[in-house]
Amino acid sequence: MSQQREAYGETLGRLRRRLRTLHQCTNALLQAESEQALLRSICEILVAGGEVRLAWVGYCEDDAEKTVRPVAQAGDGVEYLERLKTSWGEIELGQGPVGVAVRTGHACWVDDIRTNPRFSPWRAAALARGYASCLAVPLIAYEASGGAVDLRGTLNLYAAECSAFDEHAIEHYTGLAASVAYAVTALRGHLAEDLTSGVTALRARAERKRAEEALQQAREELAHVTRVTTLGELAASIAHEINQPLAAIGADANACLHWLAADRPDLDSVRGALTAIVKDGLRAGEVITRIRALLTRSSVARGRCDLTGVIRDVLPLVGPEIRRHGISLEMSLAPNLPQVTGDRIQLQQVLLNLLMNAVEAMREVPPVRRRMVVRATTDHRDDGPWAIVAVEDAGVGFSQAEAPRLFEAFYTTKPGGLGMGLSISRSIIDNHRGRLWATTNSDHGATFQFALPGMP
Amino acid sequence: MLPTEPIGSIPRPAALIEGVQGFRAGRISQPELTALYDAAVQDTIRRLEATGSPVITDGEQAKHSFATYSIHGLENLSPDGVPISFADGHIRNLPRLTGGPFRYKTPADVYLEIAQRYAQVPLKQAVVSASALSLLYPQGGLRGYSREEYLDALIDEQEGEIRRCLKKGAHVVQMDFTEGRLSIKLDPTRRLLRSFIDLNNLVLERFSAEERKRIGVHTCPGADRHSTHSADVDYAELLPSLFELQATSFYVQLASEPHRQRVLKLIREHAKATQRIFVGVIDPLDPRVETAEEIRDRVLEAAEYIPPDRLGTTDDCGFAPFSDDTSRTRGTAFDKIRARVAGTALASTVLGVD
Repeated sequence: MSQQREAYGETLGRLRRRLRTLHQCTNALLQAESEQALLRSICEILVAGGEVRLAWVGYCEDDAEKTVRPVAQAGDGVEYLERLKTSWGEIELGQGPVGVAVRTGHACWVDDIRTNPRFSPWRAAALARGYASCLAVPLIAYEASGGAVDLRGTLNLYAAECSAFDEHAIEHYTGLAASVAYAVTALRGHLAEDLTSGVTALRARAERKRAEEALQQAREELAHVTRVTTLGELAASIAHEINQPLAAIGADANACLHWLAADRPDLDSVRGALTAIVKDGLRAGEVITRIRALLTRSSVARGRCDLTGVIRDVLPLVGPEIRRHGISLEMSLAPNLPQVTGDRIQLQQVLLNLLMNAVEAMREVPPVRRRMVVRATTDHRDDGPWAIVAVEDAGVGFSQAEAPRLFEAFYTTKPGGLGMGLSISRSIIDNHRGRLWATTNSDHGATFQFALPGMP
Repeated sequence: MLPTEPIGSIPRPAALIEGVQGFRAGRISQPELTALYDAAVQDTIRRLEATGSPVITDGEQAKHSFATYSIHGLENLSPDGVPISFADGHIRNLPRLTGGPFRYKTPADVYLEIAQRYAQVPLKQAVVSASALSLLYPQGGLRGYSREEYLDALIDEQEGEIRRCLKKGAHVVQMDFTEGRLSIKLDPTRRLLRSFIDLNNLVLERFSAEERKRIGVHTCPGADRHSTHSADVDYAELLPSLFELQATSFYVQLASEPHRQRVLKLIREHAKATQRIFVGVIDPLDPRVETAEEIRDRVLEAAEYIPPDRLGTTDDCGFAPFSDDTSRTRGTAFDKIRARVAGTALASTVLGVD
């Protein structure tokens, strides 16, 4: 009977202590001004209540080790926490009460630290500080609706006696942890969440912009490389184009010397020859200037641009190649073509690519059929005039199956071709707010054309 | 000599504090107030130069506070924003934004220009961080002006402010990031801190590596009256994230830390090799003026953890970040700065730094 009374007394005493602790915790929950102060108070109250020697709160980190980081503590053994390594991951350090409580969302306890294998990584240190049992309760408040307020952390308690945490104790501390979760959530408000979402959106935008800039730079570099490659392919023809005026200059100069050596120099002829020399020199110089422009510059410079001028810039470079393949060239350039906003070098590159493709397409067709037409027209649309430049050939054309792939990067039908020309050309025209497309001709070959909005 | 720089603020002269009160009460005119500001800046610069400090500030004489100088006087603000509680129980409230659009009213380069009229030695310019001003936006949101729009405008404003300061010849632009440590108190999960770091990096990333060599970040637990707002937050919580900021110089409060060597060890572990650390060797909250020898020893202690070519000295904090703070005197501030310069010179000799 007295034993029973003693047991009742003990239970009553424990309940009184818990009630007092709960009352103090409730006050702390209501009065807390900051999260850290609240967590520290709760730990201090629990230790002061006498049931536990050490109380600490840990939060889950998203680092590689999935660390549970102590953020508040009280009691005997704070230095134990400084060395404590615990995890919420599926690794060995995550198999203790803390890790299990986080993963399962339910309390996890060890009745006897000396023997429970779950606690082996921390056993020696814990026993040295006199801990015999422990409990980890997740900081979660489950709601009737099925939702939950989850702080992603645990309240952790260490007692000096084995089996200190019975069913009632676990229920008591689980309830307390839920209250802490609610209180902390209220304290945090939505400050971090709101700011994080705002900053995340800005960061995503900044990253997108950075990626776009990097892509643009890569495109420009690739475009430059492609230009250099194309000019390399044209080297023999260009050399011929430059050689012609140089040879004429040589011949005219010799003639001048001859005329000047006469007793009565034929000055009219000398004047005529010198005029021809100047003209040929300018012609060679212009070719070299155009080549240099195409070779050296890789950054984009937008400005007012006359597409007829662009065509006239490019034709001397491709002209020798056109003639070498016996292709007849027709030009149909509409007067008063609207000027466009663009990068002259990039637009030259597009046209150069279309002309070279046309030459290539006619390499294997009978010479009689080799005919190329370059057209520049104006299309009056609702949003204003557009300039259209078309290159029509009578070559091998393309099949219906090939059509969707023509502008894909690395797609080529040319042996040894890179398959970048049309892809780059399309990205250039897209960047000029225009359109580049291809159609098959009714008889032979294909027409590639681009349209650009005229300047207002 | 090792580089040595002040943080920013110096207590305002009594005449200026009275003048500000007089202006609010309508007793003095705007030109009279401007003349008082001008005189205070001129006197502060003269006295800072007299300390031998190789780099000085304008003492923030004309700033309302280190945090609100750029927005003070805006009409779309209300005074009841986020409260900052200090350990002695007093509270400073940040303003609250009441509507968009957001623009600075008086950016820091305006103060810099005025100071440049009088300074003979290089001037550094402090600016408030974007993260501090991010707290202006109310939690409930604003109709017709989203948080994202606000942050976008804030970043633009701060970029412009820093860029103009650099262009006008500031020796260095120092971003005041006192809310870093405070954020951990507000949110121990450190999500808020991570957002702060990310937000400030969005500003810093707009500058080239060359420009960032002239941009620094200051951290401290806040110093107002005789108290701080977050000295109880463990530095270990802040420092790893702090050094993720894309700045070159870091001005770290240290003199008033109870365990300086532990903090220095953390700095050594987390600071990047390209970052220079200006350690705080003066405690503005301590009314006693440190001796040059004390400063020397603090520098030498720091040099055990940070190589001299990445080490500098500074004050733990400004001497009066809020303009109405009279808890310290101007004389003490100048004496302390003089001690810092002298102590840094002594340490430089020991370390063999010319």
